[in-house]
Formats: sequence, structure tokens, C-alpha cells
Amino acid sequence: MRKSYICLGLILAICIAVFVLPAFPSCPLNALMNWGLVAGVLATLTIVAFYFEFEMVALSSKEIALVSMLGTISAVLRIPFTAMPGVQPCTFLVICSGYVFGPVAGFMVGAMTALVSNFFLGHGPWTPYQMFAWGLAGVTAAYIGRFNLGRIWLVIFGIAWGYLYGVIMNAWFWATFVYPLTLRTFVVTETNSLWFDTFHAIGNAIFLGLFGVKTIAILDRFRKRFNWGLASEPTGTPLPV
Amino acid sequence: MISFRYQDKGTAIHKLNPFCKLAWICGVLVLALLFDNPLYLLALFVSTLPLVWAARVGKEWASIMKLSLYLCLLVIVINALVSNQGSHVLYQFPFHIPIWGTPKITLEAILCGIGNAVRLTAIISAFAILTLTLHPDNLMLAMIKMKLPYKSVLVTSLATRFVPTLIDDIGTITDVQQSRGLELNKGGLRQKIRGRMTIIIPLLSNSLDRTFQVAEAMESRAFGNGAKRTFYNRIGMSAVDIAILAFLFLLLAMGISMSLLGQGEYSYYPTLGGMNIGLLEGLMLSILALLLFMMLPLAYLKRRIDLD
Repeated sequence: MRKSYICLGLILAICIAVFVLPAFPSCPLNALMNWGLVAGVLATLTIVAFYFEFEMVALSSKEIALVSMLGTISAVLRIPFTAMPGVQPCTFLVICSGYVFGPVAGFMVGAMTALVSNFFLGHGPWTPYQMFAWGLAGVTAAYIGRFNLGRIWLVIFGIAWGYLYGVIMNAWFWATFVYPLTLRTFVVTETNSLWFDTFHAIGNAIFLGLFGVKTIAILDRFRKRFNWGLASEPTGTPLPV
Repeated sequence: MISFRYQDKGTAIHKLNPFCKLAWICGVLVLALLFDNPLYLLALFVSTLPLVWAARVGKEWASIMKLSLYLCLLVIVINALVSNQGSHVLYQFPFHIPIWGTPKITLEAILCGIGNAVRLTAIISAFAILTLTLHPDNLMLAMIKMKLPYKSVLVTSLATRFVPTLIDDIGTITDVQQSRGLELNKGGLRQKIRGRMTIIIPLLSNSLDRTFQVAEAMESRAFGNGAKRTFYNRIGMSAVDIAILAFLFLLLAMGISMSLLGQGEYSYYPTLGGMNIGLLEGLMLSILALLLFMMLPLAYLKRRIDLD
């Protein structure tokens, strides 16, 4: 049995428990139903599930080298751009990688971006959520890639991920540090980073609109160079020596 | 460039087993999320301070904590603005928003925000110590030993190793492009992004070419062959390490059982709850505090034994 399915089962079990347990107020496990804790465990389990899935997908040293190199580029691009608030070329590169190399590689590149850059920018409780958010950007980009959509869709996709990334990071902040957890507090927490998220979205749109097609072409060329092989066994009589 | 990277200072904390550090960070994180009582959270934060001192990372730690001040302020402001509960009204806004009601700031909401800010500070402080004292390679080794998938961990390890190389590459490419007349910080956002892209595209194709070299190097070392992996570095488990791990598991078990017993809870609304800590709770709390502070003497003990 695939180990990632075990993680998936655990995620489902926690999700069901979250809804079922409050119906039994006398159950002592309710004390452990802390939203910050539950959100953290869910994000971590998702990351571990993708790690196990990558283990099944990546068979050769080439895939490993490629994903690690894309993750490094993306992580490095995050560092010099910290001077411009919100504008992050790494989201753009994660989306392009997912678009070309598929969902699992896309998730790994996104997760690497957060994990590796935080060795230099500072780890914190936000690391798993950043890994989760960028990873999902890579996964969804892979499904966009299957439809072979045009440039305008890439731009819309980039804008959507600029805001979605903000929503995921704010949801973490809300679940862990804001009390009480109501719709109202959620809305206020989400609006606090609207300014940064708008910059992030605009940056993504410009990057993807101007350079998305070019970058995807570069990555696609490398994918083709990587996946070479014999189309069929050579036939015919061997040459006389 | 602001960078908080690991530096080997050779203190007792740096020499500590990576498993112990990971177990410790898990313990602090879970306890910080489980408890609501500000007294408990403050104790948790205070328990990280001796480790900062022992690891001699005070300066770097302080600069990370300065960044966390902004987040703390955000926590307090959001909690004060959004909460309509609490009986001591400090200020009532003179307007009324439909559905929402009249916004007001209460003493309880501000104190609740401060309580949560203490929680945040404790977590960030613990993570700062981890980032500053744990070498990424040791972290990867510990991850592999914990049966996390090997290839995924190898990807992380490779990526971390290539970051300094690529930063050098960026420097070279920037110099080349500037000598050709590229002006990086000129114009509007669109112009700036265009400027960055003249660095990103060469970096991309250059690094992807390097991918082949990495793959060849791995192949030539017979990557993927052989059933059993061997390691160049090893993590030794001495008796003291096992003792530290046992203490930390005890700490976690203690915290969870206290939480199940309903201790460590605190209600800010409608009025501030009292801090009446009973005999049993006081006893358990002092044992918890003792376990939290045990980390440092045990680390020194381990160093002492290693030196002998």
C-alpha cells in the first residue's frame, strides 16, 4: 500500500473528527481540538504525503537533480526581492515548473522554495504553511498545463494565486492567534494583508504575462532533453564485420 | 542581505543531538498551542531564554525577535478591533455598521491580544534557536533516520547546498548585464520586473545545464544501486541523548494530560478569569517548568561527557 494513502486517511480522519467531536462535549479529546494545532497537523500531513508520492515518481537521478535545482533557483529568487514588498518571482517560477513537469514535481518545487529559503530568511511556524501554499500553486498549475491554455489564462491564474497565497497564510494566522474564531474576525484578518497580496498578484501577472510563455518554453526544452530514449528496438540485420 | 544562517559556535546547544532539538521544538510548539493561560505561555517563553544565552546567539536572536514585534502588534490590533465581547469598554466608535454592530474596544480584547502575542513570541523564539543552532545537513540526516522518504530529503539537501553557488551566479550575471548598460532600479514596477528578468532567464538556463552535471555526478557514484544505504556522517545516540529524549517525551505527555484535565485554560470573556491555581495544578505546573528547564543542564552534561 502506498504510504501517501495512509497520510490521506489520517487527513480524512482528522477532518471528520473536527466535525463529529463537538457533538460529544463530555469527550476529553475536545481539549485537543485546538484549531491552530489541527491546521498545522493537516498542512504537515499533506506535505509528507507529497514527499512519499515523489519517492514513487522520481526514479532516476535526473528527476532529483532537476527538482532540487528548480527549487534552489526559486528559493534564491525569493531573497533579493524582499526589498520590493509582495513581489515574488518565486511564485511565477513554481507555477511554470508545475505547468511543465506535472503535479508532484510542481509541489516539490513549491515546498522546496519555502523550506530552503527559510534556512536563510528564518524558519518559523509559518514554514509548513508556506510550503503548503506554494506547493498547491505548483499542483494546480500542472492541471492548467494539461489544457494547454493561452497566455491570458496564465495571467488570471497568477493573479488568483497571488490572492490565494495570502488567504492561506492569513487563515493560519487567524486560526492560531485570533480569538474568537468567527466569520467576522476571519474577514478582518483576511483584509489586513490585502495590500501585499495585491502587489503579489500584480507581480505574478506581469511576470507570467511578459515572460511566462518564454520560461515555459525553456523548461519544456529541458524536459525533452531529459526524456530521450530509443523509440523502438533497432531492427535489421547487423552489418557484416 | 539579511540572513540568519547557522554558524558553528561549538557550544553545548550546537553539539546537542538533532533528534533532541527536533523533539524539543515539537514539545514547545504543541504546548504553546494547547495552553491558553498567559502565565503558562510566559513560562514557555522564559524557558527558551537560557538556551539563547548558552548557545551565544543573542545578537542574531534579537534581530529575529525584532521582526516578530510587527507580528505581535498585528495580533494585538486585530484582536482589539474584531472582538465585540468583554465588559470593560474603553472606547466606543461613534458610527454603526449594519449587521456588524457598533465597533468598540474592550480591555479584555486587548489583554487577549497580548496573551496571544506572548504565545507567538514563545514559538518564534524557539524556532529562532533551532534555525541558529542546527546545521541543515544534520537536520536532513535526522529526517532520513526518521524514515522520511530518502529521495525527497536528498532534494532538500541538494537545494540547500546549491543556494550559495546560485547567489554567486546572480552576482556574476548582474555584473555582466550592468556592464552592458542594464539599469536595475529604474522606472516603474513593470520596468523593474523587466530588468530582473534579464537576470532570471540566464540564471535559469545556466542552472538547468548544471542539472546534467549533478545527475552525472550522482550516476557515477552509483546512485540508486545497492539495497542498504550507508552514511558518511552518523548521529550517535549516547545515554544522555536518550535521557534528554525521555525528558522531552515526559514533557509532552505531561502537557497533553494537563490539557485533557482542563488545566491551562483561561477565559478572557466576558470578564477576565481569575488565576486560581489549585494544589494539583500548581504541582503539575512546577513539574512541567522543571522539565522545560532540564534541557540546559543535560546539554552541559552531554558536553562534559563528550570532552572526557
